[in-house]
This record gives sequence, C-alpha cells and structure tokens, in this order.
Amino acid sequence: MAASIREKQTAALKRMLNFNAPPLKNTAAEPLWKVLIYDRVGQDIISPLLSVKELRDMGITLHLLLHSERDHIPDVPAIYFVMPTDENIDRICQDLRKQLYESYYLNFISAISRSKLEDIASAALAANAVTQVTKVFDQYLNFITLEDDMFVLGNQNQEQISYHAINKPDIKDTEMEAIMDTIVDSLFCFFVTLGAVPIIRCSRGNAAEMVAVKLDKKLRENLRDARNSLFTGDTMGAGQFSFQRPLFVLADRNLDLATPLHHTWTYQALIHDVLDLHLNRVTLEETPASDSNPAGARPKKKNKKTYDLTAADRFWQKHKGSPFPEVAESVQQELDAYRTQEDEVKRLKSIMGLEGEDEGAISMLSDNTAKLTSAVSSLPELLEKKRLIDLHTNVATAVLDHIKNRKLDVYFEYEEKLMSKSSLDKSLLEIFSDANAGSTEDKMRLFLIYYITAQQPPSEGDLEQYKKALIDIGCDLSPLNYIKQWKAFTKMAAAPANYGNSGVKPMGLLSRVMNTGSQFVMEGVKNLVLKQHSLPVTRILDNLMEMKSNPETDDYRYFDPKMLRGSESSIPRNKNPFQEAIVFVVGGGNYIEYQNLVDYAKAKPGKRVLYGCSELFNAPQFMKQLSQLGQK
Amino acid sequence: MNARRRHGTKNNEEGVYTGPSQTQSQVLQPLDAPLAIPAPFAAPVDSSSSMSCRDRTSEFQSVCKSLLSRQNGAQTTKPVNSAVRQRSDFTLAAKRIGRDLANTFAKLEKLTILAKRKSLFDDKAVEIDELTYIVKQDINSLNKQIAQLQELVRSRNGQNSRHLQTHSNTVVVSLQSKLASISSDFKSVLEVRTENLRLQRTRQEHFSQSPASASSFQDRSFSNSVLLQDNSNKSDISIDMDLRSSQQMQVLNETESFIQDRANTMQNIESTIVELGSIFQQLAHMVKEQEETVHRIDANVQDTELNVELAHSEIVKYFQSVTNNRWLLIKIFLILIVFFFIFVVFLA
Repeated sequence: MAASIREKQTAALKRMLNFNAPPLKNTAAEPLWKVLIYDRVGQDIISPLLSVKELRDMGITLHLLLHSERDHIPDVPAIYFVMPTDENIDRICQDLRKQLYESYYLNFISAISRSKLEDIASAALAANAVTQVTKVFDQYLNFITLEDDMFVLGNQNQEQISYHAINKPDIKDTEMEAIMDTIVDSLFCFFVTLGAVPIIRCSRGNAAEMVAVKLDKKLRENLRDARNSLFTGDTMGAGQFSFQRPLFVLADRNLDLATPLHHTWTYQALIHDVLDLHLNRVTLEETPASDSNPAGARPKKKNKKTYDLTAADRFWQKHKGSPFPEVAESVQQELDAYRTQEDEVKRLKSIMGLEGEDEGAISMLSDNTAKLTSAVSSLPELLEKKRLIDLHTNVATAVLDHIKNRKLDVYFEYEEKLMSKSSLDKSLLEIFSDANAGSTEDKMRLFLIYYITAQQPPSEGDLEQYKKALIDIGCDLSPLNYIKQWKAFTKMAAAPANYGNSGVKPMGLLSRVMNTGSQFVMEGVKNLVLKQHSLPVTRILDNLMEMKSNPETDDYRYFDPKMLRGSESSIPRNKNPFQEAIVFVVGGGNYIEYQNLVDYAKAKPGKRVLYGCSELFNAPQFMKQLSQLGQK
Repeated sequence: MNARRRHGTKNNEEGVYTGPSQTQSQVLQPLDAPLAIPAPFAAPVDSSSSMSCRDRTSEFQSVCKSLLSRQNGAQTTKPVNSAVRQRSDFTLAAKRIGRDLANTFAKLEKLTILAKRKSLFDDKAVEIDELTYIVKQDINSLNKQIAQLQELVRSRNGQNSRHLQTHSNTVVVSLQSKLASISSDFKSVLEVRTENLRLQRTRQEHFSQSPASASSFQDRSFSNSVLLQDNSNKSDISIDMDLRSSQQMQVLNETESFIQDRANTMQNIESTIVELGSIFQQLAHMVKEQEETVHRIDANVQDTELNVELAHSEIVKYFQSVTNNRWLLIKIFLILIVFFFIFVVFLA
C-alpha cells in the first residue's frame, strides 16, 4: 500500500478514462475527445477525486448524467461509468437504439451479472450496434474516497445501509441479507482496488461479524479461481514494498455510541458537525446584511456559497486535524504572509515605473525584467493563495459563530470530562437550565453521553429529574429509549467501553488575545488544549495491530481468506505486529474517529491506518436515527 | 429465461464469473473449475497488467454471437449498419489540428535538445535557426487554423444541439490551451537559446582573443555594428569612421561578420518573442471568452436546483398575493357591473 487509496482510485479512474489503457505521459500524443456519462453513484465517486479541469485535460468534453436528456453527438466515443442496475441497463439499451454516439465503452462500477450482460447484448443486436460497443469492463470502484486514507460506502443508498436500517428491531432476514451484500460488495471492490488480501478480525455477535463472514467467503472464492483471480501476483507486487498483509478490523457502531454524539474541537470534525460538509464540499448560508423591506412581501434571500476542500489545498491538509484556535491563528498568519507578498509585487511595480525613465539603466532593466517576469508568473499563485485564505476565513468565521452561539467549548470540555471519568465541576442540571448554552440538540447529546458513559445507570429519581428538565426545554426523549435498550444489551455482552484518560486544560484567554491580535477574537470562548486520548476504536486497533493480549480483543474472530480451509478458530497464526491496518465501522462513522486514528498513526512511525465506514454522519443526523429507533 | 438456465451457469448472483463459459459447460460440468482446460471463450484474465478491473468484452461478444446464431434461425438478418461513420467536417478539422499540434510538439522537443547544448564548437546554429523558423511558422498556421475552427463552430451555433455545441466549444478551447502551452515552451526554449548564445560569445571572446586587443576589438566592433545598424541616420559618421580606420576594417571584417551573425540571430529571436507575445494575447483573449471554471461536476446540478427552487417560491408568492388580494377581485367585479349596466341601459 505504498500509494494511498485516493491515488489508487484516481489512477484507476484515469485509466478508465483513457479507454482502459495505461495512461501515456507523452503530451505529444494526438488528443482524443470523449464524452463521459455517469449515474449518481458514479458522480459521487468522481466528484471528490477529479475536478472538471482534470477531466478536460484527459479529453472529456462533456460530462452528463445517464438519466438526463442527451443529444445526438455522432462522432465521439462515449465512456459510461454506471452501476449495473436495471434502470441504468434500460437506459443504456435505449441509447444504443437511438445511436447517440459513435462508440460505447461501458464501465460498470461493480461487477455486472451475466443476465444483464445478455440484456445489453440483445439490445445491441436489435440496434445493429454490436460493433459500436467497443469495450465492457467491470471497474470494481464501488466506494467513495474522501481523503488519502478515508473512504465511505455509497452515498445514494444511505438510507438502506444506515445505522437505523441495520439496527431496527423489526428487520427482516432478507433485508439484512441485502444490506450485508451491499456492504460486502463495496468492501470487495475496495480490496480489489487496493490490491491486497487482508487478514480479517472482527468482534462476535453483531453485524460486523456477518459482514466478515461474507467478505471472507467472497475473497476466498475469488482467490480459489486461479484463472480469474483479481489478486494475481502482479497486482500484489506492483507498488507494494511490504510483504506483509494488512489487517482489516471490522468494528460495529454499537461498540461505541458516545463518539458520534460527541462535541468536537478539531477543524474538519467541527465543520462536519456544525456546517454542511458533504463529499468534501462545504455549503455556507450567508444572509445578506441588508435590512428587510418594510413593505414586507419578500423575505431576505439567502445566498448559499459552496467551497471545495481539496487535496491541493495545503493549508487544509495541514490543519484539518488541528484544534480550532490553532486554525484561527494559522489563517491569520497566512493572511499576513500573503499581504507581505502582495506588497512586494506592488513595490516592484513602482520601482519599474521609476526605472523606466532612467537612461543608463539597460542592465538594471534586464534584471528588473527578470524580477517582473517572476512576479508576473507568481501572480496566479498569489491569487490562488488569496482565494484559499478567503475560503478558510469564511469557513472558520462561520464555525466560530456557531461555537459562540451555542457555547460548544463548554460542551466539549464537559463531555471530555465525562468520557474520562474525571470530576465534574458543574452538574448536568445547571447546564440544562442555562438558556444560552446551546440548542436543545446539544443538551440532548450531552445527556446521552452522560447516560452512556456512566458506570452505573443514574438512580430513578435523578433520571426523572433529568427527564423533566429536558422536556421542559423541549427535547425529544425518544433517543433515550433506544439508548436504554442498547445499554442493557451491551451490558450483557461485555463491559462498557472505556474511553481512556484525557485531560483538558483551558488556557488563559487574555494571553492568547494579546499575542496574536487576530481578527478571530474568541471572546468568552475558552481556548482548550487537547491532550491525546484514545477512543475505543483506536484502542482496539492498537491491541490488534500490536498483538497485545487484552480481554476485549482476545475474543475476536480471525479470518484469513488465503488459507485453504476456513478455520473457525480465533487463534491468529501470525505473531508479528502489523504495519498496515484498515478499520471499517459497520453502521456509520465520523471524522472524530478518523482524526483519532490519524493521530494514532502519526504517533507510531511506519504504521499506516485507513479508515472506512458504511456511512458518514454527524451528530444531528445520528440523533435523528436514534430517535427513529427509539420510537419503535 | 430458459435459455440461460439450460446451460446452468456457474455464476453466483454478483456476476463474478467463476466457471468456464456456457458453451462448454455441458461437457465440463463434472470436472472441476481449476483444471487448466482452455475454453475458447474463457473469461479473460488480465495477467499481464496490474489493472484492478476485469475485461468482459470477449464475454459480451460471445453472448452476442450466441444470440445472433439463435436469431438467425428465426428471422432474416437485418442489414448491418455500415461502419462508415460519417464524421462531420468539424471532427475532421479538429483531428487534423490535433495531429499538427502533436507534430509541432515533437519538433519543439528536438529544438529543446539542440538549444540546450552548451558546447563551444559544435554549435548547430543553422539547424537551430531552421527549426526555429519552422516551428514559428507552424505555430502561426495552427493559430490560424484554430481561429477558423472557432469560426466554423460559431457559425454552426444555431443548428447544433446544445450538447454538440458544448462539445465543439470545449474541443476548440482545449486545442487553444495546447497551443498556448506549446507557445510558452517555445518561448522558454528561445530564451534558453539567447542565454546560451550570450554565454558562448563571452566565452569565445575570452578564449580566442588576447585581452588587450580583445577590448579594443570589442569596442570597435561594438561601435561598428551599432553604427552599421543605424547607417541610414549616421551615414556621415560612419564614413568618417571608415576613413579613419580603413586599415583595420579588413581585419575587423571577419570578426564583424561573425558578430553580425550573432546580432542577427538575437534580433530574430527577439522579434519571434514579440510575435509570440501577440499570439499569447490572442489566445488569452479566446480562452477567457470560454470562461473555464474549476467547478466540480455536481456543481451545476445544485445550482440549477437552487435556481428552480427560488423561481418556484417567487411564483408561489406572486400567486398567493394575487389570489389573496380581495381588492383586486372587488375592482374587477365593479368594472364588470359597470359595463353591464352601460350595455343594458344604453342598448335596451
């Protein structure tokens, strides 16, 4: 896994766009123009990875949705990137009949079944277009990569594989099977793209185990078939310098319900929690500052601004995981650096203006020309930097507004203390009654975390008090029902997860303000410094990777698809610690866990960790699912 | 369908092709899959590459053949659509330009290699000049061709469908940007060449002439070449110079011509750079017209959604204002009643 998963998927996409030939580096080749057609799943996969400009560089002139009205473009080849569902197949057959394009390169995101292939073949025959269907490929790309080391399963079918769908009490076996199949299909595509066969470990007795069993079976079948194996020696050898296989840990969301509800303090996680972050794109609503019309009929128009957070944005890559005050400072520093560069360019301009009048300045002129050309060529860079700084200023300001309005720092501190079981200085009731601090959702989250992390459940009297306080504020208590059930269930299974020790130290506010004098005046916002702590998922990963023996993880099942006979034993054969690991959370994950894993991997040099989840939700979305479950 | 089940495929539902193909399965059913019996339509294995995808093309074609053979018995074959793909002249022109661009790029690469050589004596000035000239001509002609293509696209604007128009525009823009990159490479090659010429000259003078005479030669050669350039204005001065230094003229002639050569080359290079500058401006203008943005592919969809929503809300508001406006209704009724009275009273 020398290359990250993002690079691998991008390389696979580029190869597909180059008619499935390895891409040539030679720009002297004649340009070939093509049209790209995708469905919504394909759109979700491509949009975080390739921008329109990159598509144009590869010769794609048009990119269209499959189910839109498309016109006849008679002499251009078309590349399709779709899922092999029935509607898509019908639409493709329609296109073949209408003869919209010159030739058709069909790429299916996951493997197409034989019967559907026959459907296409019969449509092609009917339209006399068999020669036009130049290639049919299975691309095995059915997952969305968001970061270098983070991936999510489909976005369009989120409802089907959500936490709610997996854990609802009235789920039928067939539904469960369907969900498991979807998840396993995507995971299989992931491993094919990665080019490695992992060793699978999972806990017992939950959805993760079912996924592990099925995945193991699928990998094994594929490996058995020596002719058709997707994991031939070439894919394994190319680009991989370690001969070790990666460790694949399948965790279930039920292992740790507090983390998705947690209030957070790092930049990326905050954006996901507070603003609308979707497939690496942030949407901010800006209300214009004009006063409303007295005549009153039209409400203020809200402008929505969207920003892309890409891999090319160096500031973002550096500060995704930093705590928020650090981010604010860094934005200020970048702004200052940019201003000095801008002044430099302006100064050069004025010098040039003066020097032009001097006669004996021929040699100086050439020197200045060189400086000017360098300044001119660096202008695009400067403009780009300015755009990024603006972007981050806007986003950070929006986040800061939310923090100030809802006093998220207070919640964060309190929850950290709850999760680390250190002493609490304020009681819950005080926070609930504080009208300024946060929305009802925040208070509900806090209460749920308290309930989850408490060693013993609170006494009946206390519970009633809390419930009354919450109902007074207007919270919805249905998540609580579900959490009670969950707690009862997990108590039967194992000891509740330990959140490890963490310390949160508030730093003096005044010293910060005086040091930086930045525009991010964080009045009344405590400047909290995070100390390292491990979430349950991270700790489990640590135990499994380092082959430590720990009562939590000793009971995990062990699967090795390369072994000849599937063994039921949970004794790992391999005694060496693993260098690479992939953590997948069935039932949903979020950026807090991702950040924690990234920090863990950074602390241990030489180890690489990838994080994946079946869906990515932030706390409000998770609360909604919990309340749906609680109402049943 | 019965046809499929009869052959008893060994596919599982996900479509992973784990067994020999249909046409062979009757014979091979009792045998186990991993045996190395090569089936003619075996599912393809990309063993030579490290691609993480699977090619189903031959499977597809085998399916087509089998379906065709089944159909042949039932009905007469329809005439196959001729593979003559009538390419529009736009596509032909674009392909031609693309080929020319590729050729020019190859020539430019050769020129780059030549210009980078720093050896003192093996200077292939003639070749470099020729190549420079050829490349310059090529770039000019490409510029004209692309401008023509753009005209063609604009003239077809009315007849073309929306997508075809976008496609044509994008093709033109990409050709322009490729031309721009070739021009900028060409410019940098010329600059490198100028630099090298300058270095060569200084080194040559350093090594091939003695220092004392070199400086005097330099001065005089400088002044001579400068004067020779402005000889139209300063003819009397040059004549004076000639009279005064007639003996040295013959000695100077040779070095003079050599330096003259160099000066000419430098002039050519400078003029070429100026021309390139103008081409750049033109290209920049054309590219700006197209307004390339760095949107992601799902940007437009969201934009349109938003706009449609806003438009819808505006219309709804207007509708509500109209329907709720009681005064409007009353006014309309009054007018109708007035007209009714007028007609009844005056015509009755």
